[in-house]
Order: sequence, then structure tokens, then C-alpha cells
Amino acid sequence: MADVRVLIVDDQLPFREASRMVVEMTDGFVVAGEAGNGEEAVEMARELKPDLILMDVQMPGIDGLEATRRIRDLVDPPPVAVMSTHESGDYRHTALEAGAYAFIPKSEFSMDALEGLWRQAIT
Amino acid sequence: MATTVVLAEDSYLMREALVSILGNLEGVELLAVAEDYDHLIETVEEHRPDVVITDIRMPPTLTDEGIRAANYIREHYPEIGVVVLSHYLEPDYALRLFREGSSARAYLLKDHVGDADVLSAAMTEVMRGGSIVDPQVVDVLVEARVREKESLLQRLSARELEVLAEMATGLNNSGIAEALFISRRAVEKHINAIFTKLDLSFEESTHRRVRAVLLYLGEGQ
Repeated sequence: MADVRVLIVDDQLPFREASRMVVEMTDGFVVAGEAGNGEEAVEMARELKPDLILMDVQMPGIDGLEATRRIRDLVDPPPVAVMSTHESGDYRHTALEAGAYAFIPKSEFSMDALEGLWRQAIT
Repeated sequence: MATTVVLAEDSYLMREALVSILGNLEGVELLAVAEDYDHLIETVEEHRPDVVITDIRMPPTLTDEGIRAANYIREHYPEIGVVVLSHYLEPDYALRLFREGSSARAYLLKDHVGDADVLSAAMTEVMRGGSIVDPQVVDVLVEARVREKESLLQRLSARELEVLAEMATGLNNSGIAEALFISRRAVEKHINAIFTKLDLSFEESTHRRVRAVLLYLGEGQ
């Protein structure tokens, strides 16, 4: 089976790097690209057609929620999992409303969580 | 002379991000990284850093290790500054951190530490004996003060309520992990926090699970 191609979206480089490490260490997953803001995320989602998008919420310009809405409007949109340093709170609800299929706090993101997110995405 | 730092964080993503942020700060030397309470205390005793940056919930109990470590350090090494990193809406922990005194202590929200300047300013402040509380936490503390007669369930974060709701449907930890697509360890972490916040820490394990669910069903619906 082909590797799952993941687009990482976060405005903070340290978090992008850490997410990249998790993706690269997980069997069957590769990084398709990294975006540092919402606009870039939408553009890269359109161009790269990743299998899965990990989307931060708070970013300058259009935030992760607006980017998620715009990605949902693309033809054949990839699934978006919203990640935040917040432990859920209102974000979970708004993330799902914006069109994300999952919400996960950054503190819970791990190789297992990535595999779980993907299983969820394809069922 | 470089500011020496010991970091304690059990979440992989946060840990790697913090290591990277600290690595890019000029004049900061990261001496060691711990992933649980015991290792943090050992590392502090071995290295005697200028500053400790610590998560709150870490093994072994995944509840309040960072706060306990900060208080232990105040008692034994008062010269060491401590920056505690928290998720949103944990005002009880902030109160417990400052109860023993606010000097050389900072309480920051994790979503602000990606900004290296925020972390750097907090480290500088605790090193000179000052203190910093994230403004958003202050807001929450004020709100909490206003509604003092809170219900027990209001102590829980939204995520913890979700875990408790799944627990109430009869799911075991694996089932809850599957339902919320998080790791079993994360579920255990939330459940321990739930027990602590509902004052069930000292009950027997089967009893407190049942009592937590009863509280939820009694108050939550």
C-alpha cells in the first residue's frame, strides 16, 4: 500500500518540525509538505492533494478553521484533523463545524494518535 | 554566562518543540530533558540549573507532577526559577503553584510558548526572582472567583468531560481511546485528572470510576 501523504500546517516552526518527526517515524506515513499559514495550506492542499492534513488553529492571516472551510470547498477535499495546544474546549466543536473530521490536542499527538487519526479518516 | 535549563515534558510533540525553541535561544544551555517527576527531581539535583521549565501532568500519576516539583524545588533549591507550562483552564494548578509564594515562578499557557520571546521573558523574570502569570489564566482565575459555588463538574476541562461522558457509556480505557482517537495513556492521564478534580484521588480505583460516572449522570444531564 502506498504511504499516507501528510500535509503539516502550523505557523510555529518548532511544532512543524516536531510533527514532521512524528510523521516520519510512523510506518506508512510520509510528509507531503509543510505550510506556515492558512493561505499556504489551502494552496498546498489543492496542489499536493495530500491524503491527510494536520491543521493548527491559531495562525496569522486566515486561521486553521477558515483554511479548513476553504479546503472543504475544494474538489475531492482531503480529510483535515485540527490540532491545538488547547485541550479541546470550544475548539473541538468549531473544528468539526468548519469541516474537520477530528480534533486532537497537540499534547496527545503521537505515532499511535497519527495511526488512529488515519484509521478514523478512512472509515 | 549561559542560562542553564532543565526541561520536563512527557508529550513528544511539545518536548521536541520546546527543545527546538530553547536550542534557538541565544545564551541558553539546555542541560537535560526529563519525562517524569522522579527523573526531573534527580536531574535538578544533579545539574542545579538556573531555570526549570516543566509540564504539569507527567508520569507517574499524570496529574500535578509539575506543581509538586516546583514546590519541592522551592523548598530545597530556592535559587532555581521555575516556569510551569499549562493547558488552558487549569486555574487550580496556578493557585497551587503560587500558594507557596510567587517569587521565581511563572505560569504560562502552552500555546504561547511557541513564541520564543514569551518563554525567554519568563525565564529572565524567574531568574531574577520575579513572577509571571499568563494574562489568560488571570482572566480564568477571576471568573472562577466570581462563581465560587461551582459544581464539581465545572472543575473539568471540556476534554475531561468528553472522557467522562465516554466512561459513562460503559467504555473501558481502550474503548475511550478508540472513540476519541487518542492514546490509552492520554485517556489514563485525563482520568487521573478527573479523579483529582472530583476529589476522588483517595478512593479505591473501582469505586472512584463508578462515583465519577454517578457524579456525571447526576449533574451533567
